[in-house]
Amino acid sequence: MHRSQPHTTVLALSALLLSASPAISETFSWAGTTDPQTMDPHAVNAAPVLSFLNNVYEGLVRRGPDMDIQPSLATSWEALPDGAGWRFTLRQGVTYHDGSEFNADDVIFSYERAISEPSDVKSWFSSITGVERVDDYTVDFLTSAPNPLFPGSIANFMILDSGWAEANAAEMPARDAENHATRNANGTGPFVLASRDPGIETRLTPFSGWWDTAEHNLTEAVFTPIGNPATGLAALLSGEIDFISPIPLQDVTQVEERDGFKVLAGLETRVIMLGFGHDHETLKYSDETTDANPFLDPRVRLAVAQAIDVETIDRVIMRGAAEPVSQLLPAGLSGYSEENAERPAFDPDAATALLAEAGYPDGFSFGLMCPNDRYINDEAVCRAVASMLARVGIEANVNAMPVRGYWDELRADNFDMYLLGWSPGTFDAEHPFRFLAHTPTERLGTWNFGGYSSARIDELMTPILQEIDPDARQGMMDEVAGILQDDVAYVPLYTEPLIWAMKDNVEVIQRPDNFFMLRWVTVN
Amino acid sequence: MMLARLMQTEGVWLFSRNPAAILAAIVTIVVVAGAVLAPWIAPTNPYDLSSFSLIDGLLPPLWEQGGDPRFLLGTDDQGRDMLSSILYGARLSLIIASVAMGIALVLGVSLGLAAGFFGGRLDAIVMRVADVQLALPAILTALLIDGISRGILPREVHDDLRLAVITLAIALSLWVNFARTARASTFVERNKDYVQAAIMMGQHPLRIMLRHILPNIVGPLLVIATVDLASAILLEATLSFLGVGLPADSPSLGTLIRIGMQYLLSGEWWILWMPTVFLVVLVVSINLLGDFLRDLFNPSLR
Repeated sequence: MHRSQPHTTVLALSALLLSASPAISETFSWAGTTDPQTMDPHAVNAAPVLSFLNNVYEGLVRRGPDMDIQPSLATSWEALPDGAGWRFTLRQGVTYHDGSEFNADDVIFSYERAISEPSDVKSWFSSITGVERVDDYTVDFLTSAPNPLFPGSIANFMILDSGWAEANAAEMPARDAENHATRNANGTGPFVLASRDPGIETRLTPFSGWWDTAEHNLTEAVFTPIGNPATGLAALLSGEIDFISPIPLQDVTQVEERDGFKVLAGLETRVIMLGFGHDHETLKYSDETTDANPFLDPRVRLAVAQAIDVETIDRVIMRGAAEPVSQLLPAGLSGYSEENAERPAFDPDAATALLAEAGYPDGFSFGLMCPNDRYINDEAVCRAVASMLARVGIEANVNAMPVRGYWDELRADNFDMYLLGWSPGTFDAEHPFRFLAHTPTERLGTWNFGGYSSARIDELMTPILQEIDPDARQGMMDEVAGILQDDVAYVPLYTEPLIWAMKDNVEVIQRPDNFFMLRWVTVN
Repeated sequence: MMLARLMQTEGVWLFSRNPAAILAAIVTIVVVAGAVLAPWIAPTNPYDLSSFSLIDGLLPPLWEQGGDPRFLLGTDDQGRDMLSSILYGARLSLIIASVAMGIALVLGVSLGLAAGFFGGRLDAIVMRVADVQLALPAILTALLIDGISRGILPREVHDDLRLAVITLAIALSLWVNFARTARASTFVERNKDYVQAAIMMGQHPLRIMLRHILPNIVGPLLVIATVDLASAILLEATLSFLGVGLPADSPSLGTLIRIGMQYLLSGEWWILWMPTVFLVVLVVSINLLGDFLRDLFNPSLR
């Protein structure tokens, strides 16, 4: 048992006095639903991990408050002639947290690590054929065809120190097992990983040797995962934490009305949608229709879209915080198709008529797969969808499960219809097209669980990637969005809201990708 | 025989002079009738997806501003009528509690009777098992059974058997009371002359237990059965509240309370309060009835 010595008490007292003065900010603690699974920037391609590690590691480029691409470890970049790739000029005088120097070797090492077999981020480099070192502070990323979007697509490609990784036997990302990089980090970013207790607490301290000027005023930052948003909200209101994301939508008014707290609400770029089993011959979870898959008929898919009243889902379940959406990405992002901005109108009678026309006047039953802890109110939305579909005569058996096993079930084709949320990582329509609309192959269409396939969309993917003229490119984007809408390949529902809650004295910048950047946090 | 006579004379007289018991009996009858007749009297069927609409979501009770005459107690976040959900939920809660109590009664009384009548090794074994069971809190037993069945059964089977598992779990945590009471009363009765006479006459032990002893110990058992029914309802609600009970699409009272908890701080108080108040009223009335029965069968308490 530790006994408090007289001099420690004096120290503690003086510390109290010091912290009472406004000039010195206190420890900032924040909470989220999910703990980042790993501290390895190449092991898991998921938002909680990448968002957290962006405070510790940096990429060649980074995104600013408005998602604009800014120089980071690279000071400038230019396209090589004839679409042969991109040349990055690296920043000089940058050091890692352990003091070693950053140079071109680290970029090449990190690239090779990111495309290695156990890496989860290989798909970011699908168009890259190789990386060449020109000198200590210049590297070339080579492509087989022009790729105008490449620099903007690697903001989350984080650079590791080759010497540190080799010294600690972490040359490869550890996906299933653990290695040194799973719990330790050595980046160039504004914060140093001070201690890590997975699932319990992660502590960060500011990096005094950071190359950029710090905009934050934190002396320490502590992250605690709190799985239940209601519990997290209670922790915020009791003063235990300074910031949390998200809070339950029904509690927004309550927090706003309290003195000393505020809510920052916005829209994430994530679109919540329904997907179908396009390549399933029969329904898997139907009580009576076992010899056919009605969803193969576009009229049935359109009927589903027309039967769902997204406005009411937004009003009641999302408390008006969501935004109905017509495409696989929200309005305003690059490549969004203005031509296809119209959703199929909510019209249950037309839906019933379409079902009858398609040969299902008495409806049918099917299985709707749904996560219950991934998106805001995901299970409630599925149940509301089931209730709306029941009104036009088709009966959804909702199977809601934790996200832990959800993707495996979808990959195993265990669904007739499913709920999916998609955030375009590159903030361009090409991203959801590549992952969700292209026919599934080794590298493309990897999240197209239902196996939707359109020869014309597949054909347009390469020109979209290479086209430099914005109008011509948008023309192709419009065509893809039009095909997806005519086919009702997916039923896009709404854009997920962002609900951040914090103490009044905390100033943050809310980025639409829901990344929480400590470098913009100030505590007054 | 004795019971019937008691009920006809003293029982009725005592009952008529005990307003708490009368009130409790009326409330219990109304609530139980409402639950049993839910499919016929509830305004809507909360299990039928096409019978409610999200447009009606989160409406307050009738007497609050914004209430809708179609929904006396308001609606939940899916637009389901709270009154219907509660009636159907209470039905499910009562079914589970009664079946569990029935299993516990049969199991406990049989073991208690046998232990008290035969004594010796059988008695020792049954009572030690009961002691062990008694050392485990009821909620822990139920969680344990649910956990084990979740572990050994495939997911789909477990989901289908959920109702059975939770019933069994409750029954297993309630049988001890019956066994101990039955054994103690049997011990007393066993040495009385009429039982000894029956033994002398060479009657079959089973016949003696069922025909001679059981009718004479049924009083205290009835009291326990009533009180345990209330415990069973509470236990089911607790388990469902903790999320190991019934799923959200076939809600019992406990599940309804768990769902309502999400709205505790957000102003939609009726989603939580309506099922909670209903549960409290139900359990209190059954307990009051149990108290009355105990007084009735135990003259020294009068």
